[in-house]
Amino acid sequence: MDALVAQHSRSQHAAEGYSEDEMQQQMSADLAQPLSLQFALPPTASPSQWLRAMTDDHSNPQCPIKIAHGTTTLAFRHKGGIVVATDSRATAGDWIASQTVKKVIEINSCLLGTMAGGAADCQYWLAYLGMQCRLHELRHKRRISVAAASKILANLVYSYKGMGLSMGTMCAGVTPSEGPALYYIDSDGTRLAGNLFCVGSGQTFAYGVLDAEYHYDMEDAEALELGKRSILAATHRDAFSGGYINLYHVKEDGWVKHGFMDTNPIFWETKLKKGEFSNVTSKMDE
Amino acid sequence: MAAMMQSAMPTSEPGYSFSQAPQSVAGGPRQHGFYPYTDNGGTTLGITGSDFAVLAGDTRSTSGYNINSRYAPKLFKIGGTGSANEGARIVLSVVGFAADGNALKERLDTVVKMYKFQHNKEMSVHACAQRLSHILYNKRFFPYYVHAILGGLDENGVGALYSYDPVGSYERETCRSAGAASSLITPFLDNQVNLKNQYDPTSGSGLEKVTKAPQPLSRQTVEELVTDSFTSAAERQIEVGDGLQMFIITKDGIEEKYMELKKD
Amino acid sequence: MEVLLGITGKDFTIVAASKATMRGPTVLKSSDDKTRPLSKHTLMAYSGEAGDTVQFAEYVQANIQLYSKRNASELSPYEVSSFVRSELAKSLRSRNPYNVNLLLGGFDPITDKPELYWVDYLASSARVPYAAHGYAQYYCLSTLDKHHHPDISFEQGMKILRMCTDELKRRLPIDFKGVLVKVVTKDGIREEPYEDEKPVYAP
Repeated sequence: MDALVAQHSRSQHAAEGYSEDEMQQQMSADLAQPLSLQFALPPTASPSQWLRAMTDDHSNPQCPIKIAHGTTTLAFRHKGGIVVATDSRATAGDWIASQTVKKVIEINSCLLGTMAGGAADCQYWLAYLGMQCRLHELRHKRRISVAAASKILANLVYSYKGMGLSMGTMCAGVTPSEGPALYYIDSDGTRLAGNLFCVGSGQTFAYGVLDAEYHYDMEDAEALELGKRSILAATHRDAFSGGYINLYHVKEDGWVKHGFMDTNPIFWETKLKKGEFSNVTSKMDE
Repeated sequence: MAAMMQSAMPTSEPGYSFSQAPQSVAGGPRQHGFYPYTDNGGTTLGITGSDFAVLAGDTRSTSGYNINSRYAPKLFKIGGTGSANEGARIVLSVVGFAADGNALKERLDTVVKMYKFQHNKEMSVHACAQRLSHILYNKRFFPYYVHAILGGLDENGVGALYSYDPVGSYERETCRSAGAASSLITPFLDNQVNLKNQYDPTSGSGLEKVTKAPQPLSRQTVEELVTDSFTSAAERQIEVGDGLQMFIITKDGIEEKYMELKKD
Repeated sequence: MEVLLGITGKDFTIVAASKATMRGPTVLKSSDDKTRPLSKHTLMAYSGEAGDTVQFAEYVQANIQLYSKRNASELSPYEVSSFVRSELAKSLRSRNPYNVNLLLGGFDPITDKPELYWVDYLASSARVPYAAHGYAQYYCLSTLDKHHHPDISFEQGMKILRMCTDELKRRLPIDFKGVLVKVVTKDGIREEPYEDEKPVYAP
């Protein structure tokens, strides 16, 4: 009798998790390539080659479909958290498609993603990542680690490798288990943890300013100013970067937004008040 | 040499009328160029105000230098009831490849109508905008050749405008122009709607200069900006002309206005 | 991955050029001097197509020295830059043009001002407060934008140069074997000893 009862009942703690059936269901749901098979493909032998001919502005400037691209983004860790800064320009070929793009994507209250490369790719897959992070939260009753979140994205883009996705993104967040964490993920499938990354066509210019003065023990104000100045440097030297500086700070208890600032007045203030950018002449007779 | 001899000799078989016969070996695998797109020209434009949104588009349809139609609307009501979309509150505009534009409209319209049947409430523009993005991205590897703009009123009754790239990256904006004359109209709108490069004349010079803050525009001002944009674009862009269709979305519904543009 | 850098200050011009000579995957030499003095107060640093560089540099060097001997007068840095530019422009329109990028660092003893000219293989010439050629443009111009001021002292100039070379060592994937640093002041051209051994790592 006892054996029969045991077979058809569960102890209190066992009832809390998932039943075998539920587990099975979830496993298969997790394993199934979500969405992937739903994407329409052109009826050609090599879809990616066709896509390249139609959309890759770099290899074919006359391509008919110009996909909006994003440009300079940076993020770095310091003792007070993580600074995340981006420009706001989107270009389609040499046309400025927008000067007001939000390249920092708020995945949840403690996780940020940045976008460089294809605007739609980043927007879509980071939104998808946000969804996966929320599902993780509901399933496990705690927030997802940045390591796990970034790996979801890395595995996802890797499954599309060679299909023409183009994204260079950073995931910055704070969790109780890891503290402030920063990851770089790109559409090749690279995933790196690190202290400092700059991504996009203006990356080298941002690195130039950032590396020279970066140190881990920076105070919050100093770090935010350096992040802002590095984006300004990139907007000045890289034609594909510009518009507004979007500044965020990730701290213990979530991220804080520090403004969406027009670069033009900041540039002139930096030049005229601090005497920087001495190669730009502001007088006619120089 | 053999080929020359052959063509010189009279045969009963039909000869090639082209200057050159096919070079490749017959029977081998041959790759055809797959180019399923054409550009049907035209331009669209959207501007929002505090309690309305205006979407406009010219009605010319071209292919190459030919004008196919002088009245082929690029503006579509989304949702509402029946094929006339009565009672709709959302407008989609598409430029680029008209067939893709139509397919996109059909898809979005179906989705919005199904939403109402299933949930017994109207879809918000916000939700519709996100759905449109997903529809576009679903064809990430075989894109719709379109630039879409979606307009409506948000939950607070404020004009809402969303613009899209061909594969679905989107952004809410106060004004946007797309299509053949977007490079002519956008700078004009930047200056007149967002007051770019306009400074308060009383504010001094150098670092003291104060930029003018953009204010919500009145409906009349917006309509004037739209007509000026299109009459000017029709003067300088061959793919723009014939007619101007305007949809004004307010809490009372969608009002349509039509105006003639130059026919040359 | 050749590096050319130039910085002007209050009373000097610093010119730095990478010491590596590379051919395909090989470093042939790691103590190369990619500069030639054109006159007492003008120094030229060059990079570009192998062979073209030294040929062009020595050709203009010889002609400028010939001019000074014939006329018993030195050309000012500006005049030197004009001559070099015109030679490059002439070459550009010939059957096989020189493929050479240049930095001309100088000091004009008459106006008592440092000068720097950025010249590329298409014979564009621009007088600038600081300059770079090659990959150094991408990594160093933003640093220079921020830290350079027209009236910096020599020590400050060297400090900025250090920032630039550190950044290049940190981020360039190929070792350029350090830089050779030369300085032009009112007293002429001199080589400045430069500590190059310390490795720098990306954070």
